[in-house]
Amino acid sequence: MDGEMTAFVSLASYKFKKILLNKRVVAALAVAVIVVGVMAYASTQDVERLQDGTILLDVMFLTLFLPVLVMLYSTSVIREEIEDKSITLVIASPMKRITAYLSYYSSLLLALMLIMGAILTAGFLSFFIPQGMDMDALYLYRDMLLLVVIGCVVYSALFLMVSVIIKRAIYFGLFYAFIWESFIGSVPGRIAEFSFRHYIRSIGAGWIEFMEFGNAAGVGRSFMILGVVFIIIIAAGLLLFRHKEYPC
Amino acid sequence: MNLIRADKLSKWYGEVIGLNSFSVDIRPGITGIVGPNGAGKSTLFKMIIGMIRPSQGELLVMGQRPWLNSELSSKIGFCPDYDNLPDEATGREFLRLTGGLQGMRGRRLDGRVHEVSEIVGIDYALGRKIAGYSKGMRQRIKIAGAIIHDPDLLLLDEPLSGADPQARRALIDVIKGLHEEKGHHVIVSSHVLFEVERMTSDVILVFKGRAVASGHISQIRNLIDKHPHNIIIKGEGMVELGKRLLERDYTVSVGFDGGKDRLKVEVKKPDQFFDEVPEMVLKDGGKLEEMYSMDDNLQAVFKYLVGR
Repeated sequence: MDGEMTAFVSLASYKFKKILLNKRVVAALAVAVIVVGVMAYASTQDVERLQDGTILLDVMFLTLFLPVLVMLYSTSVIREEIEDKSITLVIASPMKRITAYLSYYSSLLLALMLIMGAILTAGFLSFFIPQGMDMDALYLYRDMLLLVVIGCVVYSALFLMVSVIIKRAIYFGLFYAFIWESFIGSVPGRIAEFSFRHYIRSIGAGWIEFMEFGNAAGVGRSFMILGVVFIIIIAAGLLLFRHKEYPC
Repeated sequence: MNLIRADKLSKWYGEVIGLNSFSVDIRPGITGIVGPNGAGKSTLFKMIIGMIRPSQGELLVMGQRPWLNSELSSKIGFCPDYDNLPDEATGREFLRLTGGLQGMRGRRLDGRVHEVSEIVGIDYALGRKIAGYSKGMRQRIKIAGAIIHDPDLLLLDEPLSGADPQARRALIDVIKGLHEEKGHHVIVSSHVLFEVERMTSDVILVFKGRAVASGHISQIRNLIDKHPHNIIIKGEGMVELGKRLLERDYTVSVGFDGGKDRLKVEVKKPDQFFDEVPEMVLKDGGKLEEMYSMDDNLQAVFKYLVGR
């Protein structure tokens, strides 16, 4: 392992621990409690097991908690280091800034996949254990988990990039997560296509039998659009982070 | 070769000037950068380490431009004037992180953590959380982090700031040792001249973003001595003392300051003045109650040097 890779791993493992153990874990726990509570309650009602389970997971994760929780974590990873000046350690080191940015992103993504995966698993089990577990339910779990991972990948890239340039990135995040993704993403017509949610749910509609989504784009097209936008966002984040001055 | 060459270096933050046509050559060894708060010392350091880039002018560090220069960064250690330590980490975790960012790992990193913590005298507290460190300990662990990769050049921005007198003495010894025993070139900033004087005789005076004087400490001292100092003396027999002072060639002016028991004296050689005054007072049977310089700080000298 060369020096640059060692620096990448050192920063990523340090940040991974810090992200998991910071105060935002309270928000993640609160979301987990809400999800488990709602899913457990729903499981006691007269429901269509797979259909209603899919709708619940779709609404709670893809529509609401995924963008919000990812935003809460992603806007703080680099911005907090700029604010408390601890970014000096990274910027003054010989580690290339592009490597440093990718290291921040990797640790964030890994932590988010762990957190969102854990919440999804808890919600899924609290509904499907009382309702009855079978292979169809496990396929649904697998597909939802993959959709959540895709969401983590694109949302975290966006919010991390924004936090490099905007001081109060959380305000942009709140606007984007609640107004743009939740509201604009639900408006009928082509404007909804300007949200990540549209394409994540389009992929879900292609994979999951009971996912109801009338205006879905094809799975392949959705992957391609999300992939291209992701590459643009990551490239923009790398450029902005590299050329930014850090007067601290 | 000069360690650092700055040629008409300027840095603006919007309408605020950090450095203003700053030109200086810094030689190997220990160099002190002295100036009041906001003079531009930290701006210069951040430019040397590549955190910010010049708005104008040229900066060469060991012959290279520092902006986005990873190779050069690996030769420089930086200890900032602000607290950038992760409170939740232990001293050992912090040093392992700083070493890791320098590309060090395994036994080499463990050995170096042990070595630098001994050099700065923080080895006994490596297992403790940084949140529980005193100001002096925090400065030591910051310096340890800055030297973990054995840099050629070490930048210490106000390393004594906030430390108690005992910690200051110890830190001064550590800093001198880093050059004399370990061979690091050190650039250390302070707003207190006599502290820098205890570490080095090469000094650069910085004021309002400009290098207003540089050279051996004795030259700086001469500049200070040439600059008239305003001194207040309070006690009995001030009229007689005033007459005696007027006979001295270093006295510029003498006057009463709110009463006949209080003199305001303007002198050119304050050291000689302070040596002679007690004897003069005693000769006339007077009594000295209070004596202090109104501008016994660098601010007046800086203003003098820039002609304001």
